[in-house]
Amino acid sequence: MKKLLALNVVVFFIFACSSSDDSDPTPAAFDRGVMLANWADNIIIPSYEAFSLSLDDLEAAFGNFNTTTDQTNLDALRAAWLEAYMAWQYVSMFETGPAETIGYRSQMNTYPTDVQLILDNITNGGYDFALPSNRDSKGFPALDYLLYGSDSDTAIVDAFDTARLAYVQDIIDDMQANTDQVLSEWNTTYRDAFVNDDGSSASASTDRMVNDLIFYYEKFLRAGKIGIPAGVFSSTQEPTTLEAYYNGEVSNELFQEGLQAVQDFFNGKHFGSSTTGESLSSYLATLEQQSLRDDINAQLTTSRTAIESLDFFRVELETNNPAVDMLAAYDELQKVVPLLKVDMVSAMSIRIDFVDADGD
Amino acid sequence: MRKCFFIPMALIATVAISSCSSDDDTIADQGPQIDNPVTFVFERNGESSVNFSGQTTRVLMAEEIIDALKDNSLDADTINAMFAHVEGADDFSDLELNASDKSVRSKTAASNDFFSNNATDQALIRADFEGWIQTQVDEVYPRWGELASAGVAGQIADGASTRYITGKGLEMNQVFNKSLIGGLMVDQILNNYISSNVLDNFEAANDSETLVDGKNYTDMEHDWDEAYGYAFGTAQDLADPRPTIGDDDSFLNKYIGRVEGDEDFAGIADDIYQAYKLGRAAIVAKDYTVRNQQAEILRELISEVIGVRAVYYLQQGKAALEQDDLGGGFHDLSEGYGFIYSLQFTRQPNSEAPYFTKAEVDAMLADLMDDGENGLWDVTSETLDALSNTIAAEFDFTVAQAGN
Repeated sequence: MKKLLALNVVVFFIFACSSSDDSDPTPAAFDRGVMLANWADNIIIPSYEAFSLSLDDLEAAFGNFNTTTDQTNLDALRAAWLEAYMAWQYVSMFETGPAETIGYRSQMNTYPTDVQLILDNITNGGYDFALPSNRDSKGFPALDYLLYGSDSDTAIVDAFDTARLAYVQDIIDDMQANTDQVLSEWNTTYRDAFVNDDGSSASASTDRMVNDLIFYYEKFLRAGKIGIPAGVFSSTQEPTTLEAYYNGEVSNELFQEGLQAVQDFFNGKHFGSSTTGESLSSYLATLEQQSLRDDINAQLTTSRTAIESLDFFRVELETNNPAVDMLAAYDELQKVVPLLKVDMVSAMSIRIDFVDADGD
Repeated sequence: MRKCFFIPMALIATVAISSCSSDDDTIADQGPQIDNPVTFVFERNGESSVNFSGQTTRVLMAEEIIDALKDNSLDADTINAMFAHVEGADDFSDLELNASDKSVRSKTAASNDFFSNNATDQALIRADFEGWIQTQVDEVYPRWGELASAGVAGQIADGASTRYITGKGLEMNQVFNKSLIGGLMVDQILNNYISSNVLDNFEAANDSETLVDGKNYTDMEHDWDEAYGYAFGTAQDLADPRPTIGDDDSFLNKYIGRVEGDEDFAGIADDIYQAYKLGRAAIVAKDYTVRNQQAEILRELISEVIGVRAVYYLQQGKAALEQDDLGGGFHDLSEGYGFIYSLQFTRQPNSEAPYFTKAEVDAMLADLMDDGENGLWDVTSETLDALSNTIAAEFDFTVAQAGN
């Protein structure tokens, strides 16, 4: 209720300003369609394409490991897994359209993974990765366990019998199939539908993408990668809920990549290029909200700096209780939320359509 | 959060104190002054006179039952035995629960005011709970490892969670859980343990401070404490449940906390707590007028918790379905189904009537499920809004206030 009220007040305020200032030029209209085209053609589709290629590399590396299951090929497979996991951070936020339909993010990256379920699936066979209840037994987190889930590399290589190798093959196949589906929809029908839906209703592309972006930032980047493991939402720290917990040394860089992807998207930066196009950032500038735009970028940069000074997240959590430096970094991340979720959406007259989950 | 909490508490304490002292002017020579403690601590001869262990036990039993409704290795006899536990039976993982002579079923739809002369509805309601267990075991468990579709039971994704639904889209564990809040907790509190129809029987004994054999409390004190236990019997601090309200069970405590968390209703948890505390203090002071006033406050506020959550889940479910989030929508509406069911156990203050009768509740639930042959798969936004409006109209809140 209060949120709605605040929004109305802001809208009224803007209206009152513009009507009383007849002599001042009104802000130039912002073309959302141009921004949507920039998002689709220069950011979203290229990011999915790059990610899809990284999965091809992962598949190839696994092919070698499948043929010759040894330490050398394990190292190469791990490297390909990490490359793909980094590329994933650039697409995870786009849970809209075809990705939303299939629950892409939860198909690919539900963690913590369920080790017992993985082992049961390998032993029993006959698993169906289409079932929601199998989402925590596949994807990147299951590979994290299968490739790093023991202190001894020898033990890891030795554990790869035929059934376990087949399981990894099935995981990679599932990841590729889901990714192919999302990408092909973007490349065929969804791109135009997305770009043409350039209005300002609650179901228009901009409104939905902004909601999806903020939801991602709040629930998956801020809470999922840092807040939940650091115990912000529980009575104790929970290091086993870290992304890439079994690897133990890449949670930070996966997070940083995700944060960079959010900031690049905010600024309309083309994937793999320093060129920028129309974006939330330029939208704010058109609305004469340059200081808000600068505040958002500055706070994102402050957050990144706070994370850079941390040890591996797993080490932070297993060494310090409370992990005050990690919590301090979380606090910096949190400061971005009201800038996006209150100030930015008010300026753009976008309504937040999600509420905090009930938790049951 | 917790810091914010102390300020209103301090304010309320001040208000309570000042209103007490102004009351004193008029009732000073009518009877003993009510000694209202800061927290729910009452003693006699230096020892606590508070006891609600039986309520804590039943809440814990109920927790194990709703867990069992998500364990597809169990059969209906096993879960029904948990529901209708008999002393010594090996029904629960907690050995103390097994040793207990308490049972959830025997106190379901069992209040003095609503069911002592209505064995028919009591039997029908208990049959509903047993029917939900049976449906879960017969229809949903065999499809535990299969995908659901319209008319076909199975799994459906809800965000990162997996929900298990009937062919009509209902989660039986949620229906059972939320309906039990009404059928056990709300009914026992509002229509039994704080009811003057029950408590007045013990007035003479309370006036003479005749204690229950071997106990440190009078019957009336104990009854009131049992009402308290159904709301706060699993709190971390039993004398002051407010700091952890919402986190201590899956039933009434949880949803007092949820409603408290909606800024439109902030303060309700403390209001409920204060009414319980002052009512108990009034019993010690033999002031049955003040006791009854607190009972009416509890009836209004606890009924409101049920009404707010019924509307909340109808509106949340509507929003989810409009965004094609079927799993999330069905989950919300399954909770809403249980809260609507619970409305028949609410109690309008200063009356003998619930906010909605059993017949009205049954009609609303039929409306919810009959937009098409597949229940929630076919339900329309218009139906969900109509039900929300029907419920909110009987309470002092709007659909918009409850809905988010």
